[in-house]
Amino acid sequence: MAIPVRLGVAAAGTIVAAVLPLVVKSPFALDVLIRILLFAFIGTAWNLLGGYAKQFSLGHAAFFGLGAYTSTLLQIDLNVSPWIGMLAGGVVAAIASLPIGWLCFRLRGPYFTIATIATAQVLMLVFLKLRDFAWGAEGTTIPNLGNAPLMMQFEGKAAYYYVTLGLLVVALGITAWIERSRIGYYLVALGEEQDAAEAIGINVPQVKRRIFMISAFLTAMAGTFYVQYIYFIDPQTVFNFSVSIEAALVSIVGGVGLLFGPLVGAVLLETTSALLQSQLGSIAGVQLTVYSLILMAVILWRPTGILGYVGELVARRRAKRPER
Amino acid sequence: MKRSRRSFLAKAGTGAAAAAFGPWVLRGYAAEPVNIGALYPSTGSMAQIGQACVAAAKLAVEMVNSAGGIKSLGGAKLNLVLSDVQSDTTVTRTETERLISGNKLSAIHGCYASALTLIASEVCERAKVAIITGSSSDQLNKGRRFTFTPFARASQFAKAQLQMARLVGDKPKAAVIFENTAFGTATSNGLKELAPGEGVEIVMFEPYSAGFTDAGPLINKVKASGANALFSVSYLNDLILIVRTVKQVGLNVAINGGSGGFVVPDFYKNVGKLADGLLGVAHWNHDVSPDAQKVNAEYKKRTGDFIFEYAGGLVAQTFMLADALERAASPDPEKVRDALATLDVSKGYAAMAPGGRVKFGPDGKNIYGHPVGVQWQGGDLASVFPKEDARAPLLKT
Amino acid sequence: MVEIVAQAVINGLLIGGIYALVSIGVTLIFGVVKIVNFAQGEFVMLGMYLSYFLATRLGVDPIVSLVVTMPVLFVAGVLIQHFLIRRVLGQNDLPQIFLTFALSLLIVNVSLMAFTANYRTVHTAYSDEALHFAGLYVPVAKLIAFAVAMALSGVLWAFLQATDLGKAMRAASQNREVAQLMGINPNRVFAVALGIALALAGAAGSLLMPFYSAYPMVGQVFVLMAFVAVVLGTLGNVVGALIASLLMGVAESLGIQFIGADSGLIVVFMLLLATLALRPRGLAAGVQR
Repeated sequence: MAIPVRLGVAAAGTIVAAVLPLVVKSPFALDVLIRILLFAFIGTAWNLLGGYAKQFSLGHAAFFGLGAYTSTLLQIDLNVSPWIGMLAGGVVAAIASLPIGWLCFRLRGPYFTIATIATAQVLMLVFLKLRDFAWGAEGTTIPNLGNAPLMMQFEGKAAYYYVTLGLLVVALGITAWIERSRIGYYLVALGEEQDAAEAIGINVPQVKRRIFMISAFLTAMAGTFYVQYIYFIDPQTVFNFSVSIEAALVSIVGGVGLLFGPLVGAVLLETTSALLQSQLGSIAGVQLTVYSLILMAVILWRPTGILGYVGELVARRRAKRPER
Repeated sequence: MKRSRRSFLAKAGTGAAAAAFGPWVLRGYAAEPVNIGALYPSTGSMAQIGQACVAAAKLAVEMVNSAGGIKSLGGAKLNLVLSDVQSDTTVTRTETERLISGNKLSAIHGCYASALTLIASEVCERAKVAIITGSSSDQLNKGRRFTFTPFARASQFAKAQLQMARLVGDKPKAAVIFENTAFGTATSNGLKELAPGEGVEIVMFEPYSAGFTDAGPLINKVKASGANALFSVSYLNDLILIVRTVKQVGLNVAINGGSGGFVVPDFYKNVGKLADGLLGVAHWNHDVSPDAQKVNAEYKKRTGDFIFEYAGGLVAQTFMLADALERAASPDPEKVRDALATLDVSKGYAAMAPGGRVKFGPDGKNIYGHPVGVQWQGGDLASVFPKEDARAPLLKT
Repeated sequence: MVEIVAQAVINGLLIGGIYALVSIGVTLIFGVVKIVNFAQGEFVMLGMYLSYFLATRLGVDPIVSLVVTMPVLFVAGVLIQHFLIRRVLGQNDLPQIFLTFALSLLIVNVSLMAFTANYRTVHTAYSDEALHFAGLYVPVAKLIAFAVAMALSGVLWAFLQATDLGKAMRAASQNREVAQLMGINPNRVFAVALGIALALAGAAGSLLMPFYSAYPMVGQVFVLMAFVAVVLGTLGNVVGALIASLLMGVAESLGIQFIGADSGLIVVFMLLLATLALRPRGLAAGVQR
């Protein structure tokens, strides 16, 4: 898409999004919107690594959880505001991404993926054991402060909506900036053909490291938000494999390597999930069955995702139009 | 002039009509059903237990309604609003919220597993709706105004288990194994703290991840520890494996299966005769009083199994809610909460509890609450400890 | 002390045999078809359920039901190769990773809906029996499972070494283009590879039933073990996968014994991470197949 068009879409989208909570009041609907924005945010973070650099991680829950625990520990032990904790969590995750990356990037392709899964699992197991430091398997609830914006607790869902919207806008902005920067070109190059990229002089390990750090930082911020939203943290919730799955899925379904891909994917997947839940109640297994069928359909028939397919259609129509 | 007279007549007419039909009109309005929310894991790893709880919840509401409902509200019937929390913490959070925001609830009961109840109670606290629960975690009584726990707490279970160990042996050397979520850690910590005071030596203290499929390594460690008593704080599936593996290894230990998975009919169904003689603890049992036996008989007719600890307890809880509603004379959740806080019953279905009395202290705990020791005898669970609560003699094994 | 270690080693070896069946399947698929089957564990799970239903409806002993589960899963493997895998071969990583991943998700969740999450067990005459000697005990069911697993592995190895089809598979795994030039039909070879791998997974499921519980998510534990074993034993190397699996079973068992009952998985992952750090191509890298 041409840049002015993109900016236009982004601006229009942001205005609509900003106004939405004034119109939509139902807590259930707001909850769905919050989930859409949150997973679009996590997906955008994932997309940097998975979509552009083609390093498919299924272990992003590791950073989600690290962010969640960092901010919660700071809040409960030292009374630090989760706003600061959010940034601190990002830093912790970014630092953690260095040894994790060093280990996992030694493998390529599907084995990289497996290594990332293992990493998230190890972290979950570790935190399950940390009873004295971090409440272990029991987890903890965050103190009930009622309406305390400075401590990221709000009455009513609208405020939470705006927080996730803000996060998403930030992530999209970072992605757009990276896309057009030099590191963006390196990313795509190494994603296409890693050995060739190395051959022409790109410092592949360094590029991977850097993008991993950014991706981890952002994902961790989502972890902080999540704890503030559901009032609760425990290892099984914040290091859960389903977080990693959803991060990857929204990007793949929406369109990997595309700026708005994760957002489109999140809209589709989260609305589907909400519809399923309201129509069928909470039947275990239904949501993920539908997700997996959607994923399979995308992989077999539209591997570039929804947005990718739309892009192809547009390009095809443009090609048919004769030059004026 | 004409207009005003007409309107006056109209008003007078309505007034007369109201006076004539008043009582009927008022009663019709007040007999609107009272909504009680019920959150249980009907699917997921605790599905069987959750479904038993749901059956009991429905039975309890029927019992209250057929006895005339809430008389102070004009015979208003209780309306059960169910939700499945899928044995999952995040789902519990969203479902509790959804239930509260989507219905005008007067109170809630749930969720069986302490880990889930802790979250539901957080939501209830913020939404200012009372939740009454049999979950044993002591954390439920900390810093909350809207959570009420009429039955024994995890720390009390621990003491009872230790005392029972002395019943079967003089110098018990105990191995403690426990599932590592809220339920297991709370109870086992109680065991660790109280053991020295009860004359029990703990020779092994080991958390495990619930849902393991091989108890071999764990029982190996128990054997190596030289224990002659095994305290297992587990849910059903793990407990089955543990009991079977102990037999397989040929280990001679007195097993105290605690509560959790030990007290459900499915335990006996899966383990059979191996269960006879095994000891455990429960916060409620179907032989605790004649009223309990009546409930049990009815439940058995419907489901074919005896009513297990948590399910029976929640029938009593429903009656406690009914009692609170009766005294509050209002479906408003804050008034119900205040009425619960001043609950004091010693007869009727609301008082179906070990000791036969329920009265809440300022922290939501029942000041008379205590557990009973239970033993499997011939396929049924009998209360055997302490003396006041024993309904059958202790079987020696 | 020696007794404790010996018992832990015995326990570990026995379960390692089951891990071997699963990991051999994964490494075979990777070696021949060059894709990672994320759904391998789910076929173990399906094998378990199939045995469970045969046992409870028809009274067939789970070990005997091998003769049903293996062929059924073989056919499933061939079908999956034909309808799904074939369509993403030759494409880049994303479809290959996420197709089997989606398959795994699908199977687990359909099973969750169909079978519910309740644990299913089969209690046979020998489920609780154990052989006792020298202060140690060997559970009978696990011993049988181990023996059958080793036998199946041996048969597979012989097949790969001695039969034409087996040699064709090894050739295709070493160099696909040259194998094609030599007249080997890759799709046929791939189908057989998938079929064999899934049959082994199904066998593992049947062997597990006398002493394990079946539930929809049970496969995920096994597949994680399998992946670690495959990396440890060098990708594509069948013997490597076998030995690595046994090693891992023992490591897990020793970890549970000496570190903590909830640390079995941590030990295994530490093994994986250590391998990645020190010998990322696995123990058998550079060793002739």
